[in-house]
Order: sequence, then structure tokens, then C-alpha cells
Amino acid sequence: MGTEGDSRISQFRKGVVELAILALLHRGEAYGAEIVDELARHPGLAISSGTVYPLLSRLKKAGVIDAMWRESPVGPPRKYYRLTDFGNAEFDQMAVAWGGVSEAMDVLLEEGAQR
Amino acid sequence: MRDPSAEAASRLTPEARALLECYLDRVRGALLVSAAGEAGETVEELREHVLEEMAGGAGTDGELTRILDGLGSPEALAAEYAGDARPESDGSCADAPEQDRTRLAGTVLGMPYELRVPTSERIAGRWWNPLDPHIFVPRIFGVGWDINFGAVAVRLGIVRPDDEDEPFARVPEGWLFAAGMVPVAIAATVVVLVAAYWTELPASLPAQWGTDGVPTQLWPKAGWTTFVLVMSVVPALASLWTQLRRRRPLYRGARAALASMLATIALAQTVQTLVTLAGSRAMWPTWVGLALALVLPFVMLVTLSRIGRAAEQRRDLAGPTGEERV
Repeated sequence: MGTEGDSRISQFRKGVVELAILALLHRGEAYGAEIVDELARHPGLAISSGTVYPLLSRLKKAGVIDAMWRESPVGPPRKYYRLTDFGNAEFDQMAVAWGGVSEAMDVLLEEGAQR
Repeated sequence: MRDPSAEAASRLTPEARALLECYLDRVRGALLVSAAGEAGETVEELREHVLEEMAGGAGTDGELTRILDGLGSPEALAAEYAGDARPESDGSCADAPEQDRTRLAGTVLGMPYELRVPTSERIAGRWWNPLDPHIFVPRIFGVGWDINFGAVAVRLGIVRPDDEDEPFARVPEGWLFAAGMVPVAIAATVVVLVAAYWTELPASLPAQWGTDGVPTQLWPKAGWTTFVLVMSVVPALASLWTQLRRRRPLYRGARAALASMLATIALAQTVQTLVTLAGSRAMWPTWVGLALALVLPFVMLVTLSRIGRAAEQRRDLAGPTGEERV
């Protein structure tokens, strides 16, 4: 697949990773490197810190997440992110929407594979 | 305390937020095809610009539509940023009449070029963007690349990408002003040196040298003087103006860093000329000057970032539970 195809896949992943970050923070607060490491555990997402940090910044500016420095049990203080009330509502909406999209895509891809 | 852009963002209705995100996503999508390396930085700059405009106006949904209309279609805007061919628009979001495309920025033979007048926003976005992992970014003005000192600092482990909510926003006024005075002090040194040696300077002055320290080019006294003064005084005054107008802290820091680099090069040129006129073939002023021209802005920007981070930490860690914000 050429560069254009790679860009499309990258763009597709970036759309998904926003929901992935919200899902992570829905479980509980986390700091930046923790979010990057957690996403890196899922090869399908293949997202680098160069994508995650700008996204965190954007979500914070949009009021979806909040950030606050906290003392760390080991090492220096870290900046922890958490969902705001608005972010929680956004996540609920997006999760429902994703369920519908995922279900529809599964059907379409399965039908495509059978042909 | 929230900044005006954040306030404007928080006031957006869900419909307006969706419209803005749709617009930005289309710009990002177009840039990912034509200029992937710049997509993140450009979109964030654009978002900041729109929210600042919103903060300065009524902040209504209609205001957002007017601002996006003014920017034109996302694809045309992305093409303008990337200097690339404009893809077809799909007609959604906020299509607006096509704007005249400029060819003042783009790439030629794989090299980026930028001929638009440098703005504080562009200087700041290119020179200090720790969120962008790319070290080499298109020049603020001219052909080639500049250094994203923020990416260098992250790569060296000196700062983390998210150390500051908004770069330099929490830096105390005194530190910002001190940074703004650095290029002024360097420019003043250049002026004093030129004035002190003015009567002793010959009609033609060495302006370029070989590696052995022998001058390879002489400039008329007036041309040489104009060069070193314009190179030092103009950026220093521009930086000072940015300080006095109390522009955004990031802009002030970036302007001060850029002016310091240019003034340092002018000072190195001045000292090198004086050393040569004194009969020496030493080239240390040039080498030390070039090294300082890179190190000084880096140190200034990193210092401001560390001060800003420390201020954020004091704000968040002040309470006994770390929950209270000052």
C-alpha cells in the first residue's frame, strides 16, 4: 500500500484513538506516558506519543478532559488527566455511536469477505 | 484561571463544537495527504486562531460560522498551508467561496519555503512546539528548515510534551520581561561597539571569511553598519514591542528567542570584524557566535518552560491533597 493508503489508515486510527483515550480515562485518571504505553499495548492502534499528546491538548482545550499535577509515589510529580463531566457525557455518546458503527462494519466486512 | 481561548471553547454549543471539529478534521485530513509532518501543528495553530477570534468577538455560533467562512474551504486552506494542489471539496461542513491561493509558502524540490511575513504565531508554533516530535520544521522565513527547540528539549528529556497546559502561560511577568530584554541587551552591545570603534573603522570592512580567518569579502562601511544594526536592533525592537503590548506569553518568549539568535549573529559579525581589523586571523568570534546563536534561544525557551511548569506544579500541588487550585 502506498503513502496515500498509509495516510488514510493513519487518519482512520487518529479518529479511533480519541475514543480509545476517552475509554482509558473513563476507567480512571492517567498521566501522559501511561496513556501512550497503554495504547501501545494494542498494536492495531499503532499510535505514537507524537499523536497522543496533541490529542490530549486538543481534548483539554475542548473541555473534554482536565489535567492536574500530582505527586508521584515514585519519581517527580506527573500531570494526570481525567474526564470532565462533559467528557463523561461525550464518552457515553461516542461509545454508543461506536457500538453501532462497529456492528455495521462487522456485517459489511463479513459480507464483503464472503463474496 | 482559564485563558480566553479555553473560555471560548467552553462556551461553544455542541453544534458549534461539531462544526469546528468537522472543519479542523477536514483540514487535518487534507494535510495528512499533502503535508503529513505539519498536520498536527497546523491544525492546533488553526484551532487556537479560531478560538482567539471567538474570544475577541461575540463568541456566538454565528460568529464561528463567520470566522470559518472567512477562512474558506478546509481543503483550500490546507492546500495553502501545504502549497499543494487542492483536492476536491465534498461540500460538507462550512464550504465557502474559494479564496485566491497564494504561492508564498510551499515546497520546491522537496525543500519547504516560506515567503509570508513572519508572525508571532508562526514563530512560536515552529520554534517551541513540544507536542510536535519533529525537530526540523519549515523555516519561519526563507528556504529550508528551522529547529523546533521544543522537540529537541523533549528528545533530550529536559521537558515533557505536556509539561505546560499552555506554553509559558504561567511564567511570571518578570521572567517574561527579562527574556525580552536579552536581545535588547545584545543589540545594545552591538550599537556600543560600533559607536566606540566608528572613527577607527576603514571605508571597507571584512564581512566574510575563509576557514583560515582571511577575509574573502569586503563590504562598504555603510553597508556593513546597516547589516549589523538591522540584524540586531530591528528584531530586538520587535521583541520589545511584543513585550510592551503584552502579547500571549508564548509569542513573547518565541520573539525574544528569535531576536536573541539574530542579535547574537550580528554581535559575532561585529566582533569578528574588529578582531580581523586588529590583525588577528582568529575565527573564534564566528564559531562561538554561531554556537551561542543556537544555544541561547534553546536555553531561553527551556528556562521559560521550566519556570512555567514549576508555576503549574505550585498551583496544583499547593493544597494538602493536591486537589486545590490556586
